[in-house]
Amino acid sequence: MPRSSVGWVAKVIAVTRKDIVSEFRTRYALNAILMFALVTLTVISFAVGALEPSKEIMAALFWIILFFAAMSGLAQVFIKEEESGTAMILKLSSEGTVIFFGKLFFNLILLSILAVLIIPLFIVLLKTSPANWGIFLTGVILGIIGLSGATTIIAAIVSKATVKGALFTVLSFPVLMPLLVAVIEITKVAFLGGGYKEVWPPMQLIITYDVVMITLSLLLFDFVWRQ
Amino acid sequence: MYYMWWKILIFLAMSGVIILAFATPSPMDPANSLGPADAYRIFYFHVPQSWVASLAFLISMFFSIRFLQTKNMKFDLKAVTANRLGLIFAILAAITGSIFAKTTWGEFWNWSEIREVSIFILLIIYGAYFALRSALPDPDNRATLSAVLSIIFAVSAIFLIFILPRVYPTFSQHPSDSVVDKTGKLTMGPMVSIIFFTSLATFTALFLWIYNLSLKVFKAAEENLLEDI
Repeated sequence: MPRSSVGWVAKVIAVTRKDIVSEFRTRYALNAILMFALVTLTVISFAVGALEPSKEIMAALFWIILFFAAMSGLAQVFIKEEESGTAMILKLSSEGTVIFFGKLFFNLILLSILAVLIIPLFIVLLKTSPANWGIFLTGVILGIIGLSGATTIIAAIVSKATVKGALFTVLSFPVLMPLLVAVIEITKVAFLGGGYKEVWPPMQLIITYDVVMITLSLLLFDFVWRQ
Repeated sequence: MYYMWWKILIFLAMSGVIILAFATPSPMDPANSLGPADAYRIFYFHVPQSWVASLAFLISMFFSIRFLQTKNMKFDLKAVTANRLGLIFAILAAITGSIFAKTTWGEFWNWSEIREVSIFILLIIYGAYFALRSALPDPDNRATLSAVLSIIFAVSAIFLIFILPRVYPTFSQHPSDSVVDKTGKLTMGPMVSIIFFTSLATFTALFLWIYNLSLKVFKAAEENLLEDI
């Protein structure tokens, strides 16, 4: 088989670009994620906004919103391939790792857009703000990388199943639990105003978790993708 | 006929364990115990159940890896059966653990207790595994995807159960030195040790026996092309 003259990075960027373009046409996943997060935020604001919950609870609520919004939209990246019938061509066009990273970066971009829009709304509607922005933003970035990294392969698994809706949440939860515990801890410290010393253990945990889960997903992705 | 004497042995051992668990003095010194000392007898049953649940999970992960290596369907059958039995033992362990917790620590469930969180995660993992299997009608597809899922879950479970507690040494009331203390010697008295380790061995033997039987039943069922397995 002739070696392709296009580099690996260029292929990954091509996959991500294709997803961005096709997503921009319908905006289905983006809408799902944004509206879900907005609705959850509104409900929380109505329900507990006036009660002035503590900073710890704010940290947990923030990640509840992000987690469930991610659950509603991140599986789309593979499901739309299966449903529109383009999965076969995609399999033929490039190798598993390229597809994996392309889809992962697309999910990252989706979640980044979500974070950029939700964080200001969160601060305004719930009338809180993190005491330490540096830690808060680092936590959000690490959490987003972890969310997309760990769930991309789960999304691929779910796209082959028949009952796609709730399955993604059910399958992702055990995988994401270590991440959620650590990242809520970081956000709590960010809201309460601690120093980098306190957040270093959970950050180490998340970085380790990200590396391990992405590596594992790369190893196993071909088995899922070639079905 | 050859296996008859194993079954008789298991029966005798289990009966012996059950009788002795209640006939001998309680394993916990009444001066140190947090609730009625007799309640600690559940320890003879609760710990082996948790051990068997974890063993089943490990067996299933091993067979999942073997399946992905060889694509031989018999490994898939072995992995599912291990998971089925593991689920039953995990439910038992959760229930007995909860009862134990109520009598000694005062509440049925406590999220700061890492062992309770671990057994809960194990139950969720089994639930998710079977949810995926029921959503995949094609056998090859089902076997491969659930094997991949098994491996991913095993790694996250390792993170949760072993790494997380080191990072967050939350207040854990689970006695960590109840079997082997810091110098490596057994902390249990001789009578308690005998009953406990016999219970452990018998529960494991029981699990393997049921596992064997289940494998035969499910294999026969598949060969008869029965549905709803």
